[in-house]
Amino acid sequence: MPMEEQMHSFEPKIIAFVCTWCTYAGADLAGTSRMQYPANVRVLKFPCTGRIDPVFILKAFQQGADGVLVSGCHPGDCHYIAGNFHARRRFAVFRKLLEFVGVDLGRLQFSWVSAAEGGKWVEMVTDLTERVRGMGPMRDFEELALEEQWSGAITTPELQEAYDSI
Amino acid sequence: MTNTIDTSIYVAITEAIQGEVRRILSEGNVSAVIGYAAARRKGSAQPTVIVQPDDAEKLIFSAACVNNLAVYLTKAKKEIPKTGKIGIVVKGCDLKALVGLMGESQLKREDLYLIGVPCAGVLASTAQPAQPLTSDTIAPKCRECDARLPTGCDFVPDQQPVIPELERRYSAEIARLEAMPPAERWAYWKEQFKKCIKCYACRQVCPFCFCEQCLCDRNKPQMVETTPRPAGNAAWHIVRGMHLAGRCAGCAECERVCPMDIPLNLLNRKMAKELKELYNYEAGFEMQEKGPLATYDEKDDQSFIK
Repeated sequence: MPMEEQMHSFEPKIIAFVCTWCTYAGADLAGTSRMQYPANVRVLKFPCTGRIDPVFILKAFQQGADGVLVSGCHPGDCHYIAGNFHARRRFAVFRKLLEFVGVDLGRLQFSWVSAAEGGKWVEMVTDLTERVRGMGPMRDFEELALEEQWSGAITTPELQEAYDSI
Repeated sequence: MTNTIDTSIYVAITEAIQGEVRRILSEGNVSAVIGYAAARRKGSAQPTVIVQPDDAEKLIFSAACVNNLAVYLTKAKKEIPKTGKIGIVVKGCDLKALVGLMGESQLKREDLYLIGVPCAGVLASTAQPAQPLTSDTIAPKCRECDARLPTGCDFVPDQQPVIPELERRYSAEIARLEAMPPAERWAYWKEQFKKCIKCYACRQVCPFCFCEQCLCDRNKPQMVETTPRPAGNAAWHIVRGMHLAGRCAGCAECERVCPMDIPLNLLNRKMAKELKELYNYEAGFEMQEKGPLATYDEKDDQSFIK
């Protein structure tokens, strides 16, 4: 039976940073098993979660991502022995920093998805997509990018007058 | 209420430093000493490098000796001569930075002659150098200082700083921000970061910012917008906060030199607080071979990972 098509007013952009050994293979399994999941996710393949620099997440948000998913091998299964252990610490700290700066952590999801967990991958992507859809577009970084430099702001009547007289 | 802070020990410390520097330079196993000297403006001090024993009398220590001299060792480490040690005058906070740098293999303990200073606090960047040290003019970092008496140095003048209990402003401000909803925090930081003019003084003065090429200067790929616009500014400060997480020793030089008065150390203190809670790490006087983000434990918390 074909799934019922639903129209949404907002389709979030989700960027998924995945490790090639586990989550990428897991996503591949979901595909070959013909599981359905939202097409909102753009998958970026990395050698290891240890290669995923927090600045990539920042950049994704700046470039218009509404949600970011970071996924790799379960602890102990890293192809490079300890890449995901290091990544785990780094992300634990980075999300605290983002939280302190005021980014809503609901838009950022970390998960462990092994090569055999096609179903879990589908669940992760569906959950995040629906959650971010409920939260609406990520405006914070976009608004920041559109804002003018501080010196460009005309904040006083005197400045406005000087500006008008040019 | 304004309390005067007793800085009378600084006179004795100055004399002790001068005597010690004269001795080590004339004995010849230390080739240069980085310390503080009086500057032209009344009461002010500036960093100086002494190589002649006779110049030792130029050295001082006062509440105006705010700089973290460790930065002269990281950014000029290639110039450390192969013969002889470098002497350096360090307050507790500066020593923490030096110890952190040793942990990162940027410096070797045996190349240094550490002159520790029992410190009763230094002046805030908003105070005039000739002002007396009081509970109003003391630097915010000194209010929460737990490292007044350096240990593990080669020489420490035998003095005990006396400090009244002061209001902890960083802790209070972090608690205030943490209690806000995320949108309000974002609005707060947006206003702060908007002021940034990308002068990179915070980077220049930071002993831990020793990368040969900063990620934020690279343009292929460009990770952080380099122009002083709000988007690039926020990215720069977030990246800076992240790169100093688990490393920052809390000397607060970044905040002191910021011409736009962005509360940079607030971000660093927050990260230090999180590192303490998550991995029980704190910058201290004991050298640690690996920082908290350069190592791991298989039992680390992963409640945030599905």
